[in-house]
Amino acid sequence: MGKLIEIKELVTNFNTYEGVVKALNGVSLSIDQGITFGLVGESGCGKSVTARSIMRLIQPPGVIVSGEVLFFDDESQTPVDLLQQSEAYMRDCCGNKISMIFQEPNAALNPTFTIGEQVSESFLFHQVSEMSAKILDDLSSPADKTVILWKSWLRFCFRIAARNPGSPILKLVERIPLLKGWKRRLKKEAIQRSIDIIGQLHIPNPEQVVNNYPHNLSGGMKQRIVIAIALACHPVLLIADEATSNLDVTVQAQILELLVELKKTVISSILLITHDLGVVAETCDRVGVMYAGSLCEVADVKDIFERPLHPYTRALLNSVPKKTQTDKLYSIEGSVPNLVTPPSGCRFHPRCPLRIEICDQQEPDLVLHRENHLVACHAISEEE
Amino acid sequence: MAFVLFGVSVLIFSILMTFSPERRALAYISSPQQVKDIPMIVKQFGLDDPFHLQYLRWIKEISSGNFGYSVVAGQPVWDAFWKYFPVTLELNLFTSPLIIIIGIWLGMQAGIHYNTSIDHTTRIFAIIGWSLPTFLFSLIVLMIFYGYFSVFPPGIISDEFTLFIKENPDKYTQYTYLFTVDGLLNGRLDIFWDALKHLIMPIITQVTVVVALLLRVMRSSMIEEISKDYIITVRAKGADHKTIYHKHAKRNALIPVVTVAGWLVAFSMEGSIAIEIIFTRQGIGWWLATSAVQLDIPVLMAVCLFFGLVYVITNLIIDILYAYIDPRIRLT
Amino acid sequence: MTETHPRLKELKFTFYRIFRNPSAIIGFTLLIFFIVVAIGAPYIAPPKYPHNPYRMPHKGFSHTPKPPSSEAIFGTTSGQYDIFYGAVWGTRTAFRIGIFVVGISMLIGVTLGTISGYYGGILDELLMRFVDVVFAIPMLVLAMAIVVAFGRGLDNVMIALAMIGWRSYVRVMRSSILTLRELDYVQAAKIMGVSNLKIMLRHILPNGIYPVLVMAFMDIGSMVIVAAFMSFLGLGAPKGYADWGQMVALARNYIVGPPDDPLKYWFAIAIPGLCIILFVLAWNLIGDALRDAFDPKIRRG
Repeated sequence: MGKLIEIKELVTNFNTYEGVVKALNGVSLSIDQGITFGLVGESGCGKSVTARSIMRLIQPPGVIVSGEVLFFDDESQTPVDLLQQSEAYMRDCCGNKISMIFQEPNAALNPTFTIGEQVSESFLFHQVSEMSAKILDDLSSPADKTVILWKSWLRFCFRIAARNPGSPILKLVERIPLLKGWKRRLKKEAIQRSIDIIGQLHIPNPEQVVNNYPHNLSGGMKQRIVIAIALACHPVLLIADEATSNLDVTVQAQILELLVELKKTVISSILLITHDLGVVAETCDRVGVMYAGSLCEVADVKDIFERPLHPYTRALLNSVPKKTQTDKLYSIEGSVPNLVTPPSGCRFHPRCPLRIEICDQQEPDLVLHRENHLVACHAISEEE
Repeated sequence: MAFVLFGVSVLIFSILMTFSPERRALAYISSPQQVKDIPMIVKQFGLDDPFHLQYLRWIKEISSGNFGYSVVAGQPVWDAFWKYFPVTLELNLFTSPLIIIIGIWLGMQAGIHYNTSIDHTTRIFAIIGWSLPTFLFSLIVLMIFYGYFSVFPPGIISDEFTLFIKENPDKYTQYTYLFTVDGLLNGRLDIFWDALKHLIMPIITQVTVVVALLLRVMRSSMIEEISKDYIITVRAKGADHKTIYHKHAKRNALIPVVTVAGWLVAFSMEGSIAIEIIFTRQGIGWWLATSAVQLDIPVLMAVCLFFGLVYVITNLIIDILYAYIDPRIRLT
Repeated sequence: MTETHPRLKELKFTFYRIFRNPSAIIGFTLLIFFIVVAIGAPYIAPPKYPHNPYRMPHKGFSHTPKPPSSEAIFGTTSGQYDIFYGAVWGTRTAFRIGIFVVGISMLIGVTLGTISGYYGGILDELLMRFVDVVFAIPMLVLAMAIVVAFGRGLDNVMIALAMIGWRSYVRVMRSSILTLRELDYVQAAKIMGVSNLKIMLRHILPNGIYPVLVMAFMDIGSMVIVAAFMSFLGLGAPKGYADWGQMVALARNYIVGPPDDPLKYWFAIAIPGLCIILFVLAWNLIGDALRDAFDPKIRRG
């Protein structure tokens, strides 16, 4: 299984009144095809920023300063640096090959549009050619009942749409009131596809749901709709940005189960961002631990939990209360640094029990220690 | 809603009652010789009866269409109203769609390009428009376009046409009493153009002043919507600029704007008073101001009631619009 | 490392937010200019009638305005009133109108709004219905009606405006209160047994007052405009009074000059007009900057 995404030295800053927040400090990681990659860390450590940087969703005052995000679209072709691509390329890629689902389902949907309108948008943005081809087939079938004159007009439009959805001829037709009715057929097809995918996500009565508004649905249902929107075009990478953090525990379990199931059929890889180590243990194949804008450790899930190397990872795992624990709960000394004035060298060094001399002078690189196990720590490197 | 109308009528009537009975009796005499009859008039019309009796009497009069006599107009108030109303209506017919379209579009642009030069220029325009009193702006427009450039005249219509209409009732029928519309309906394009030329200056004034207000509300509403989560969802779908802003953000941004719409209408009405006076257009606003100066009280009361009615109707329309735009409200 | 007291830091931050806005700087400069002129009026334009400095001096009775000369720096308007004098003393009038009307409106409005919003119930309902009625008629129209009833004059105009102006403050304050009332720290204070009055004064009022403050600043400008218009119509300040609106009214017949020089009497309208515009602009700019500074969404970067 080859690589899918490779991030190299990604640096993202936010220019605020209080100063320049150095949110990402040269993050490097790679996600293979078919893998669920879990990105963990405390709130504010830069996990979401990493995800949004991949999709170039960072809005001012944030700015992606440097780095590469290599996307291995097709096995044979060379990778594409997403940060260098045009806006048009990103618009084509987002929602189509790479999708994202978010933390707050209640706010993620537009309250003034129906569910059907919002889900079908995914299809209308990215699958016009396929839908047009299908409609052309439908029009040719004997069961179709459209009037001859209108049918020839539809055929004309859809033939153009199947080849070139952005054709200027179609844009011209947009402006003519009666003739632009051809799009209605397209929208109907998109709604039909929306119903299909909503049904796949185990939502009852999808035909009714498409006519509902977001406020008619519960939180869990809304999150499934958000997932439906993201999966509509069968992306190769799904980024789940704390997608289950705001849900009830039972609903959380359901959603995770759903994602695991879908990974077998629809998606290829998932980048799961969370602060919940339990979720990571259950669902992820590979784990990356982030702290204050830098990656500390990347390893397979078993290695992370059984043989954690980085002091931060170890401390994190110690902080999780165990069933048999009777004494005081462990917590890491100190507090998360201010990212406007981060500590020099390794950003964890003020709180690190293994701190050595070099730690406050030089940032540690991610170094391969064991098979597939990378750590960024001077002390650990010294030991070996 | 009915309560508001009732309340308004009580309020206006109370203001009237602050005059002494003798002062109010003056409205019933038409020559100085009758001044000595005032005590008799007071008794005759029950002008010193208790409040509620007089109020009910007044309501009765109004329900039969008797709003009193207007000295300024030289006609009963009811008739005079229909003489002045078309003038005001004509102006608002032209300005309202312009205000809505320009205001919303400019507000959107300012909100989308937040903190860029487009935003700053529109904001400066909005602030200056807000600081400029309508009457001063009208004066400036008058000085420039009529005084200096002599392009557009004040008033409603040229004298030659006024004379023509008066003397040729068979050649020109007044369907709507709106000179622009009637001009077209009668096939008289020259009258239409003439009326339009007289309208240009008031339109410029009214549109500028009200757009400045609408612009600000739309802008801040847009800025707020753009920062919301669902916009990121749409961006992550790979939507283009137009879809994000004109389809998604705009619909939600319009909701607070509709709330303010009522206020805008009131502001328009206040502005039209200044515009009608300075551009010498005899409409409701002109009538009101002239009556206030000449103490023509029945007019004041009638026009206040009229404005109250407009307010109630506007609010009704806003409520309906609200339900149309915001699906969350439809169920309740 | 010494940490500044959080309240002080917040205050400094607020000032920073206000003043990094260039419009605020312009607004404040203009305002200070006007304050200086208002305070220094007796020195800048010594009054001719010491007991009534608001009566503008006039050398003669000619109707035609005369352009700026060595005698009258800004020229004279119809009736030979000195425009410069009027502009200077008009500043005082404008401040009087603005501060009086908005001060009283705010007082009434905030009090009623807080009580109504906090206690709710029938009191709230009744008050809101009443406010609805007062809102139904545009401010200018209602002011005209009141002034006709009470009589003309600047004082009556101010009273009339104060009687109407409180309506917006009630609504704004009340909606602030309604949000704040449900917040956890207010509930906590209630449980601890703090008296209602104390809660209102110490917890709710200081937090809910911001939109009212913004509104007040912009309102001063609006009130001055309405008062100026009423003076222009002849319902406010009497002829010859040092009020900007009144001065524009004096020049009413001279908006357009003779055909060969239509802008001949520009100064008679432009100078008092400019005073009004700049005065209102100053307050609006500050109000606008305040609004941006207080808005929590735009606040941080």
